[in-house]
Amino acid sequence: MPLQAITLVILALPAAGSAALGLGALKVPRRLVQVVGPGTVWVAFLCSLVLFMDQFANGGKPHDFTYWTWLSSGALQVPVDLFVDRLSVFMCLVVTGVGGLIVTYSNGYMEHETDGSYARFFCYMDLFITSMLLLVLAGNLVLLIVGWAGVGLSSYLLIGFFYWRWSAVVAARKAFVMNVIGDVGMILGTFVLFAAYHSVTYRGIFAALPRTDSPLLELAAFLFLVGAVAKSAQLPLHTWLPDAMEGPTPVSALIHAATMVTAGVYLVGRLHPVYDLAWAAHGAVALIGAVTALFAASIAIVQTDIKRVLAYSTMSQIGYMFLAVGVGAYAAGFFHLMAHAFFKALLFLGAGNVIHAMNDEQDMRRYGGLWGQMRGTSICFLVGSLSLAGIIPFVGFWSKEVVLGDAFSKPDPSGFPQAMWAIGFATAVLTGFYTGRMWWMAFAGRPSPERPVSRPHEAQAVMMVPVVVLAVLSTVGGFLQINAGFHPGWKLIEDWLTPTFGPLPWQARDLEYFPTAATLLLAGLAFWPIADAFYRRRVWSVWSERLPFLQRLLERKYYLDELYDLLFVRPMDAAAESGDHLLEAPVIDAAPTGVAMTARGSAGILSLAENGLFRTYVLVMLGAALVGLVILLVVRG
Amino acid sequence: MLAVAVFWIMAVLAVLGGLGVIVSRQPIRSILSLVVVMLALSVLFLLLSAQFVFAVQVIVYAGAVMVLFLFVVALLGPGRERRGGRLRFQWWLGSLVGLVFGGFIYSMLQGARFRPPQHTDLSTFGTVQEIGLGIFTRFLYPFELTSVLLLVAAVGAIYLSRGGRVGEGRGAAADDGRVRGEEEPHA
Amino acid sequence: MPDYGQITIGGGTLSAAWFLGLAAILFTLGAIGVLVRRNPLIILICIELMLNAVNLTLITFARQLQDLDGQLFALMTMTVAAAEAVAGLAILVDISRLREVEDVDELNELKG
Repeated sequence: MPLQAITLVILALPAAGSAALGLGALKVPRRLVQVVGPGTVWVAFLCSLVLFMDQFANGGKPHDFTYWTWLSSGALQVPVDLFVDRLSVFMCLVVTGVGGLIVTYSNGYMEHETDGSYARFFCYMDLFITSMLLLVLAGNLVLLIVGWAGVGLSSYLLIGFFYWRWSAVVAARKAFVMNVIGDVGMILGTFVLFAAYHSVTYRGIFAALPRTDSPLLELAAFLFLVGAVAKSAQLPLHTWLPDAMEGPTPVSALIHAATMVTAGVYLVGRLHPVYDLAWAAHGAVALIGAVTALFAASIAIVQTDIKRVLAYSTMSQIGYMFLAVGVGAYAAGFFHLMAHAFFKALLFLGAGNVIHAMNDEQDMRRYGGLWGQMRGTSICFLVGSLSLAGIIPFVGFWSKEVVLGDAFSKPDPSGFPQAMWAIGFATAVLTGFYTGRMWWMAFAGRPSPERPVSRPHEAQAVMMVPVVVLAVLSTVGGFLQINAGFHPGWKLIEDWLTPTFGPLPWQARDLEYFPTAATLLLAGLAFWPIADAFYRRRVWSVWSERLPFLQRLLERKYYLDELYDLLFVRPMDAAAESGDHLLEAPVIDAAPTGVAMTARGSAGILSLAENGLFRTYVLVMLGAALVGLVILLVVRG
Repeated sequence: MLAVAVFWIMAVLAVLGGLGVIVSRQPIRSILSLVVVMLALSVLFLLLSAQFVFAVQVIVYAGAVMVLFLFVVALLGPGRERRGGRLRFQWWLGSLVGLVFGGFIYSMLQGARFRPPQHTDLSTFGTVQEIGLGIFTRFLYPFELTSVLLLVAAVGAIYLSRGGRVGEGRGAAADDGRVRGEEEPHA
Repeated sequence: MPDYGQITIGGGTLSAAWFLGLAAILFTLGAIGVLVRRNPLIILICIELMLNAVNLTLITFARQLQDLDGQLFALMTMTVAAAEAVAGLAILVDISRLREVEDVDELNELKG
């Protein structure tokens, strides 16, 4: 089969699976759903492997497969083309690989749902995979936006999956609105690029790019940044992600941790020729990423819902990726993307195991003592936690250190990358602390007296296997690129992505050993023994008791939700309210109401003629004949 | 002058009959008055060389159709019209309108000029042969249409008067029930 | 200008206008009956009266114009009158099963 067809199959299979499950939701037997749902994703993974082999063999020469022309209107030519290069293959593998594991896991996690909901869930999941693959494979910006909106839609559907829960519906709506803000940015950015360069395909745009920066380019880059920020839940459009945890846990793992929220990183990477030129927007990417990383990590410290801790850590980790691509270390950003997909999916699925065993209890304070009772899950979760905290030798260590190291060593007279590094460094320490807090609170120590299930059962095989696979990946995945710790170590990810991004334009300095060691040491210390001392052994009184103000600030998430409410929602409501009073009722409503009232009034008058009395009709008839006669007489003279 | 005498006698008879139709309070008297009008008119038809129409008027109209009316009266009973009721003003208003209407028609007749007649052989005018020729040549389609109309009216009348479905307990369904009562031993 | 309105019958001469006047009187009587009477049966009879008046007109003109079409039309009118009487009476009978039919003014269910 030619490569062009295989690329299309990657997209078409999950789409077909989704359509089949959606159309036959109530009729498809559960056994078939269990095969079709994950099966299509795994076949797509195999097809992605074929593309991987091809890219491996031909040295990274990109393919641009054009299937047909979608829109043709003057200068606007929108083909349906898929762009296969090292980056999109990398993303395809992550999406289908991690996605396949999570969809397989869902087989077990969603077992308590009714047959209809069960099929619906996999329909949405496959829809998401399709959209995400379209997003990463699209060869032009219009198709990218289709995928971009598609993941937003499936995210909305999946957050609101338990649509009988009010909070889930509200969360879904919030996510959708936030995402649409980003979509508008994307679309406007596409307009700007098209207006400037008369093309919407990557190739056309990149070929037409000027040599130097221009205000137009900055505008486009900032607009795309809006899209990226919304999709990746970065400041200031981040508030939807914690609420998105209302969705089923595998959804949180797949969409709100491993794949969809990294779409912003992918976007910046995909448009890296634009961002390389637009230095202001590029710097904004890094700044937003770094600030979000620190911001989210600080909030994660006080969260008690295990999924919310993970949600904030996701924001924080994506902040690292933004930081990396923002300073120009694209390969480092994508390495961290992959690593994060591994360990965050692992953490979410591990948390899912626990939640499943705890009858949907998500409050960590009511766990405790799981180490002895759910040993397998606990070990895997520990692997994920250590990876998140950046402890050697787990994958998070290697990827995070590459990000920080590249930022640290970038030569820049302004010192901006080093400032970013400093924020990232502080975040790493905080990460160690809140990860430790989560671990010690939920798994270690004695069982909480409020625990809903005293003797939790270990997860079944179909859920355990993906968790174990992800744990293995999180353990060994880092060895793909070990140059963070060892110079000159091999760097397979960076080499793989070099045909797309080009080599890193600066050399790491020897000084980098110091920050790496410092990060590792401090993050490790924060994880153990500091967090341990605070939350398990309780040697020290919990810091929040001494700093109630800070505790409150963090618990309220810096009052950003309230601020948005005050800045946008309230004025909107007020405007809508006054519009209702001033415009809607007297003008817009009045017109149709007036017409209706007039019609009703005149009909009332006319209906007097329809009094149902036969003799009146005859009288009127005869009277009319009389009038006719008179007219006749008058006319005839 | 015999013809003139016949016309006036019949005309007076017809007008009296017409008055009888609208004045009497009992349907049966109205019907009989109408028969008088019809018979008087039939004589006038004869005067006007319409032998076939005369025959039809007497046999079909005065005979069959009026008998149908009599049957209905026999079926519904001799309901006398009560005084009062709604639309009391209609009595004088209707009379006024009707009289004005009639006055207008009459005034139109005054000074009306007639078109010159065709020159037809009056010895065969209005005979059955001529009528038959007219009906089955020039008036074939209208004739067939009227036959269809009669069929529709007959079917409609049967449908309307066959009574309600069994067991619905409508007022006159009891009549019907008696016919069908053979199936019901306790009827 | 000759008076075409004169019809010679046997030895005498009759004016067509007399016949038409008689028809007008009968028609008016029928119309007044329809307007004034409340018994549906009598209303039907009055309609028959009006139709008969029309028939007289048709036949008068047929004779005056010496055109047979008028008589043929009169025959059609009789057929229609018969059909009308049948349908009207059937409806009357059907209504009478539901209630006493003595006053058409009580049959006003089609009030708008």
